[in-house]
Amino acid sequence: MNEAPTVFQRRIIIGAVLCVAAFALVGIRLVHVTLLKSLDGVRAATAVIARADLTDRNGELLARDLPVKDLYARPQVFWDKGEAARALAGATGADARRLLSGFNNAKHPYVLVARQITPDTEAKVMHLGLPGLEFEPGGKRYYPDGRNAAQVLGVTDPDNNGVSGLELGLQDKIHAAAGGKVATSIDMRVQYILAHEVEQARKTFSAHAAGGVVMNVNTGEVLGMVSLPNFDPNQRRLDAGDSAKNIMAQDVYELGSVFKIFSFALALEDRTLRSLDEVFNIGQVYKIGKHSIHEAEHMPATLPARDILAQSSNIGTLQIALRSGPTRQREFLGHMGLLKPIRTDLPETARPLYPFSNWGQIETATIGFGQGISVSPLSFVAAAASVVNGGRRITPTFLKQTATDLRGEQVLKPQTSEQMRDLLRYVVTDGSGKRADVPGYDVGGKTGSAQVPGPHGRYIPHALRTSFYGVFPVHNPRYVVFVLLDQPHGTKETGGFALAGWTAAPTVGRVIQRIAPLLDVPNILPPTKLASTSPSNP
Amino acid sequence: MVRILNFFCVALMGFSILALYHVSEKTRVAHMELSQVNARIAQERGTIGVLETEWQHVASPDRVQQLAQAKLGMADSSSVQLSSFDQLPRRGADPAPLNNTPVHNASAQIPAPDSGM
Repeated sequence: MNEAPTVFQRRIIIGAVLCVAAFALVGIRLVHVTLLKSLDGVRAATAVIARADLTDRNGELLARDLPVKDLYARPQVFWDKGEAARALAGATGADARRLLSGFNNAKHPYVLVARQITPDTEAKVMHLGLPGLEFEPGGKRYYPDGRNAAQVLGVTDPDNNGVSGLELGLQDKIHAAAGGKVATSIDMRVQYILAHEVEQARKTFSAHAAGGVVMNVNTGEVLGMVSLPNFDPNQRRLDAGDSAKNIMAQDVYELGSVFKIFSFALALEDRTLRSLDEVFNIGQVYKIGKHSIHEAEHMPATLPARDILAQSSNIGTLQIALRSGPTRQREFLGHMGLLKPIRTDLPETARPLYPFSNWGQIETATIGFGQGISVSPLSFVAAAASVVNGGRRITPTFLKQTATDLRGEQVLKPQTSEQMRDLLRYVVTDGSGKRADVPGYDVGGKTGSAQVPGPHGRYIPHALRTSFYGVFPVHNPRYVVFVLLDQPHGTKETGGFALAGWTAAPTVGRVIQRIAPLLDVPNILPPTKLASTSPSNP
Repeated sequence: MVRILNFFCVALMGFSILALYHVSEKTRVAHMELSQVNARIAQERGTIGVLETEWQHVASPDRVQQLAQAKLGMADSSSVQLSSFDQLPRRGADPAPLNNTPVHNASAQIPAPDSGM
């Protein structure tokens, strides 16, 4: 009875065993896949950093992509689309009607509920327990210092493309260095101090707008640039009174008396002014054809050339400008880069306004003292830096540079530059810029109080645009500071005066006093003992 | 003999299948663990990035100045309070130029009124 299985039976048994083993393996795998699937559900996080960080010159963070998520919904799986729309709107802040309209539209299987939601919002959405929700990882650009450098850094759109400022101007570099850093020339400490002092000045003098620039005269690196009113770059909307415009780069202004720097530089360069002691007749009115030019302030009957700049005499300056003549003046200003838009890393720029085809005697006279020509403050700063840095062209840059001298071609003789530095120091020690002086730092500079053109081409009565161009230390210049106040008003402390010497100059002085120690500019004053710490002080 | 050899081969095949499956599973689990670790690293990097950004925000000069003024009573120093080491007198040398001369805070002094143009 117990016959041994035949060969075929044995083979059938072996085949059956193999089949059972194979099914067992499939079963084991099935159990694994179904019961332990959650282990496979963890995916490596998708790289969401598409733009490099922007940092200041010392490595401090200026802008970074933070991980956020876009929320999409598949409305087909909702039990009650209206309820789902209301719940999602409540959690994300989205418009409930838009969501409901999207959910009822059968054409689109996915509906975008909200973009760039934060982890808090994501938690609220998850708490709703709705099915059919998908989170798409993305990045949101965040600016830790908020308003301080809003215009110069610019912003990105919801797709993380730069739309203004350095975010747009350095777009290629930012994309190329994605996941890394792009070091700008900005120094956050300087940027903050400049923003703080300009904001204070704007409040104190109730100015419509204000701005400032700090630039290295040897490399062109812009350490700080402020434009007020500003905006919060972390919000995607402008609040009342905010402005995204960078007035220092995008606007052009008649800058007034600060422009006299160029008239003097040209006259000294061409030796049409041979001595700064040469005396000029001033008076209160100067006639050119049918035009009469007045002094803004009472001036002595005569002034030596150096005091024409120090006291900011229009009539004295126009006489010096007329010696150069229209052709030479135009050629010189063009050579200084003031007659074309300046090109920097910022995409914002402005075309200067000047008499294109009718540059005659009267134009030469008015341009000589800074009226009749409008340039952007950044263009002015670059040209004025060339006047004091040994006479070499400088191009502003917003990228950190490793070289310490990036001066370009010679646009003025070094001797002219030296004479101009002496003159600018004289303006601060003996002229209209006294309030910009900072003991120990040898500030040089020039005030400018320009009339403001109204909407119909006429100047607005009593409205001024004041500015101060400061350079320090003047005999070995390293930095220029420029501050502009649009239509400031005098205060009790200034005796009602709103001229640049009372408004812009002290602001520049305070900026220099605060930034000079940070920038390692040596203080040439001997150490002193403060009266407040002296026992003899009452 | 042939049967034994056949049996041995089949058994070897079976063991090979099991061993291969075991190795495959270990590899899959290792991949899974690697993915988890990578995900955690990415998450931690993201968290560090957020924390760095928060730090930058709370340690911004704006906030530090406000806190220093409000809590510590600090104020901006004037330029006459600053100097360089090479200007300090050497030990035992004439204390000039310090000379204990009281000097008012020059930076705070208001120059005489002038035109201010």
